[in-house]
Amino acid sequence: MFRARPMSRVTLYCLTSEAQDVALLLARHGLFGLAADKEVSFPESPGDEYREIYLEADARLAKIGELCGHLDIPPLPPDAIAPNLRELKGINHRLRDMWQKCSACADQGQKIEEDIRRLAALRDTFGRLKTLDVDVSRLLKADSLLDSRIGQVPKANVKRLKEALQLAGYMLTVFDQTGEQAFVVVAGPRSGGELGGVLSQAGWRELVVPPELRTNPEIAGRYLEREAERLQDEESHYCDVKAQSVGAQGDWLGQARLLLALARPLAETALGGLRGSGQLVSFSGWVPRDEVPRLGQALEERFTSRYLISSREPDSSERGHIPSFLKYPAWLRPFVPLVKSYGIPRYGEFDPALLFALTYLLLFGAMFGDVGHGGVILALAALFHRKLGRAAWLGIAAGAVSMGFGLLYGSIFGYENLLTPLWLSPLHDPIRILTVAILFGVGFIVFTLLANIWNQFAAGQVSEALFDSTGLAGLGFYLGAAAGLAAQAGMPALAGLSAPAWSLALIGISTVAVFKWVKTRAGLGERALVTAIETLETGINLFANTLSFMRVAAFSLNHVALALAVFTIANGLGTAGHWLTIFLGNVIIIVLEGGIVAIQALRLMYYEGFSRFFSGDGTEFAPLKLVGVR
Amino acid sequence: MSAYLSTRVSLFSGHLWRAEDFTALLRAPTAEIPQTLVDGGLVQLAGLIPGNDLHSLEQSIIAQLLDETLVLLRPLTGSARAFLLYWTERFEVTNLKTLLRGKMTDERPAALLNRLTPMGAFGHLDVRELAHAEDVAELLRRLESGHYAGIVRQARQAFEDSHDPFLLDAALDRGYYEGLAHRARQLEKEIGPALRQLMEPLIDRINLVWLLRYRFNYKLPPAQVYYLLVAAHSGLSSSRLKELAALSSLADVLAALPEGLRASLGGAATIPDVFARMEHSAAKSAEKVLRSNAPAIARAFAYLILRERDLRGVRAILRGRNLGLPEAMIEHTVGPLAREGI
Repeated sequence: MFRARPMSRVTLYCLTSEAQDVALLLARHGLFGLAADKEVSFPESPGDEYREIYLEADARLAKIGELCGHLDIPPLPPDAIAPNLRELKGINHRLRDMWQKCSACADQGQKIEEDIRRLAALRDTFGRLKTLDVDVSRLLKADSLLDSRIGQVPKANVKRLKEALQLAGYMLTVFDQTGEQAFVVVAGPRSGGELGGVLSQAGWRELVVPPELRTNPEIAGRYLEREAERLQDEESHYCDVKAQSVGAQGDWLGQARLLLALARPLAETALGGLRGSGQLVSFSGWVPRDEVPRLGQALEERFTSRYLISSREPDSSERGHIPSFLKYPAWLRPFVPLVKSYGIPRYGEFDPALLFALTYLLLFGAMFGDVGHGGVILALAALFHRKLGRAAWLGIAAGAVSMGFGLLYGSIFGYENLLTPLWLSPLHDPIRILTVAILFGVGFIVFTLLANIWNQFAAGQVSEALFDSTGLAGLGFYLGAAAGLAAQAGMPALAGLSAPAWSLALIGISTVAVFKWVKTRAGLGERALVTAIETLETGINLFANTLSFMRVAAFSLNHVALALAVFTIANGLGTAGHWLTIFLGNVIIIVLEGGIVAIQALRLMYYEGFSRFFSGDGTEFAPLKLVGVR
Repeated sequence: MSAYLSTRVSLFSGHLWRAEDFTALLRAPTAEIPQTLVDGGLVQLAGLIPGNDLHSLEQSIIAQLLDETLVLLRPLTGSARAFLLYWTERFEVTNLKTLLRGKMTDERPAALLNRLTPMGAFGHLDVRELAHAEDVAELLRRLESGHYAGIVRQARQAFEDSHDPFLLDAALDRGYYEGLAHRARQLEKEIGPALRQLMEPLIDRINLVWLLRYRFNYKLPPAQVYYLLVAAHSGLSSSRLKELAALSSLADVLAALPEGLRASLGGAATIPDVFARMEHSAAKSAEKVLRSNAPAIARAFAYLILRERDLRGVRAILRGRNLGLPEAMIEHTVGPLAREGI
């Protein structure tokens, strides 16, 4: 729980023909994280083609699913095998054929929709054709002299098209407008200039005016009705065809989905960790050290000696690339996202999740100690636990700790006189609560410095661990100076220790200064300046961060002060106003102050804590897994 | 906010390359190229040299431009922000054209994806999904339901009627630049005419070069050529463009230009020459705006125009050197930059 699980570098050799099944086994094992190994010198990338085909097939299946609705996937048989490249290509081809049919259906559907829209427009337009001061039947009649067309274009293009057509000796007349479309007649001499594709560029749609429309209105009306019926028939027939084709292939599509899920592991390995040479392939990656034997056993059961597995300890050059495999008990998991939002612990680094959970709750409770307010937070979190998911546990824990501190402070819904404090009332003893907050800060910073020393040793940076401002020397300075100040302030436990404490501080800060001097690579003046500033910064930072913990006491006082303000307003009102104010005041305290305190506690953890020892630039262990199967 | 942007633009303008920087890059020994680039503030490009691949170089140049645009965008809101954001979209329109071309040639999705420029926070296209479209028709259908629907819709019809990839590209380009000109006019209403000093040479250059290409390289009829140009509200007017589109040779077109343009393009014999001269005069206008007390957004746009020209000059030199071209040939290509700088 305090650091990532130890990992082994594993290389697994097997036959190329069985690569997909080995990848499937690794995914089912669920503890093999892929990573290229520089020691494997195989020249080929055998997974590339497989991955490409897989991605194509997966995309096609997704598109078919999108068009045809949810596809049922059969359960995963225990002895399932993954498709090889030839089989995957077969699936991909069949999916391509199916999608082309589906796509043609979609095209047809779109075309029918467009035809229906056009027919509706034609119906409207037909009534208005008479606004054209010409005989339509004569206008549209093929003629050797006049090239005339009737159609629609987006209104926005009319002006530009009209100007362009003038260059070819054509004229354009708008005779009707509907929505964004304009209905126009284009006419010009057949012997005139070329139009080229200008009409297409302008979004021209020819209005096909059937001969019936050129006759009397009754015949035209009957024609329009017949056309509408025909299109509706076509549309319903198209829907039937679509439903039938999907229905007929539904089982196979489910199987295809399962097979693609089984193919995914090998496709994923192509991104890194899979190399090949002729009939051999190698999978490289990281496996938790204690899981290697179990993996070997699973391989032996499935591939009986047709594989070779080797594992070794990571070498120092690999340290920065080892993924961190972090496991947490269920009660700690809700806090993990808050730690991860800062970063992932490096491999070997101290994992602050537990420290975070305990300290965060402690700080929240200390700043927001109230039995009533804590109880409301707890009750709300419990009530909405289904909606909040894991985050509900955060609310429950924070509420419970807040209630605990409420008992210690003797505070319930801001009333300070209903409960006897088990420890102290912040309002009545502010100096004591401030002292406790600062002492807590000292303890917290000492812990972060110790954690940093541990991390530096784990990373092999011994000189930084011993002599840097956040190393042992910095810790010596901080403890010495803090004890010296406390002794001078008259803390009885440190009476008589003032001189040794200051000596320790002096030794610590001098060591830090020497280390900074040695580490800085620059000219004499710049080196002196950097050393002086960084050494000074060490002292200032440590004590500024310690004083930052005064906010814990300040917020506990603020909590009482806010409640007092609410009571003062409430006491000036009648009974109804009084209780309404008390109620609303408590709501405001819970929402506003609760929110602020939650953020302040997080800030203290991130800036006074994590920034001192936690690099957060690790990589989370992401093992190969089976996805999308039951 | 305006003061912040102004200061930021002034700081950025210190990154612009001078003539001697280009000359230094042109003449630097191969081993010293990375340092020359670092000295010129192009650390991202330095990492690619030597042994770079040209695609990575192009991607790095665009990444550099996008990074700087992101910084300039921070204080902007409203139409100024919309304008600069739209300016970056032309890289994505290029991606869109690459996708369409790839589908026409039945290119594999992985290879196609590899050729696209990563747009980062500026991206609107789900390129992975689009690369897996079955054919051009499906790709266009998908594009029509996305951010570029307005540009793509008419291009689709042009393509369906002609099946000519060139006309598809032309329709997309026209759609994009119409949008840019429209946004520029909106912005001009707020910040005054400074932006026109930048847009006018830009749109004139696009219109004239397209007109010459469409008319004399692709032999399109005048009506279609005219339609494919960007509707201009200043510079080369619509009536002038109509006249020019009807002419039958490059020399006739150049002779029929308004006085100022005719003088600057006098003696140009080829379309690339026309392009280079017009780009040079557009850069001069941008320099004037950058050094003036014009509104901050106009100065920011001027900076981006100049920066892009610089980076393309750097790319030309690096490409030339990478391909082992003679120094004189590279110098000829980037001549105006190396001789005069900005």
